[in-house]
Amino acid sequence: MKVVVRLSIAFALVAIISGSLFINVNAESNNLNPQQIEQVRSNCVSIKNTINQLHVSDALLRVNMGQRYELVSTKLMERFNVRLTSNGLKIDNLISVSEKYKVNLNKFRDDYKIYEESLSSAIRIDCQSQPSELYDVLMIVRDNRQRVYEDVKQLVGQIDQYRAEVDNFETSFRTARGQL
Amino acid sequence: MNDDVSTVEPKPSFLDGKRFLLLIISAITISFILLLISLSLYSFSGAAQLDLSRPGYIDVRDKTVDSSSDFKNYPNYGAIDQAAIDEFKKLYDEQAEVIRVADAFKNDPLNPTELTAAPAFDISF
Repeated sequence: MKVVVRLSIAFALVAIISGSLFINVNAESNNLNPQQIEQVRSNCVSIKNTINQLHVSDALLRVNMGQRYELVSTKLMERFNVRLTSNGLKIDNLISVSEKYKVNLNKFRDDYKIYEESLSSAIRIDCQSQPSELYDVLMIVRDNRQRVYEDVKQLVGQIDQYRAEVDNFETSFRTARGQL
Repeated sequence: MNDDVSTVEPKPSFLDGKRFLLLIISAITISFILLLISLSLYSFSGAAQLDLSRPGYIDVRDKTVDSSSDFKNYPNYGAIDQAAIDEFKKLYDEQAEVIRVADAFKNDPLNPTELTAAPAFDISF
């Protein structure tokens, strides 16, 4: 009988652990006044529609643009770096920028994951019974999305920086070849 | 001499007659644990966020673009001359322009004033 009891306890523990895998967003309430709460309730359907549509459209954006960010690194930067180094050229600046780009690409992935999880939490909130909670979580989601955009801006900045370093390399390459 | 042989019946253990049940329970437990591991990997690795086969993404599933098809590989071998640099710059500029123009996640749809329920959030925040 003890075995059955132990197995039951194991099942219960596993169930508890699995429940904790799903991230909850803990937000401090902004204490909306009764009028605001009522307005949130009355706009409940449209808010839900908006965040549902955002959830879907951002997922598509993440897939399409994320793939492109990745390919810039793997199919262009890395390959150009390999080709230059295999020709015995010193390209520390290009390597440095492409490494920073990769680090930032990982940050973009992580921040998007955090954003998507918080948005999913917002979608699960019942705005009729928890309007204040919905507002609080939506403000967190907004900050998380802003963080994703900051990462994108950094990526674009590093793409431009890499391009500028290519120009610098080209200038020094042509100088070395006596073409300037 | 005493020829009586007394046979002592062994006390039945708990497992007797329940081995099959235990086998089933063990199999279910192991499969449940493996399921949890795979689900946690799916969730924590970020694969879930890229999985458009999930319910709710039917409308956008066919809108994914396979960028690798229009993404020409830059050859990572060969001599370096002006033509090789120019070729790289051309390929790079094409992709950089697409990324720059897209300016993904720039808009702020969760701004209280842009949300459909804007008036509710505008009052005191």
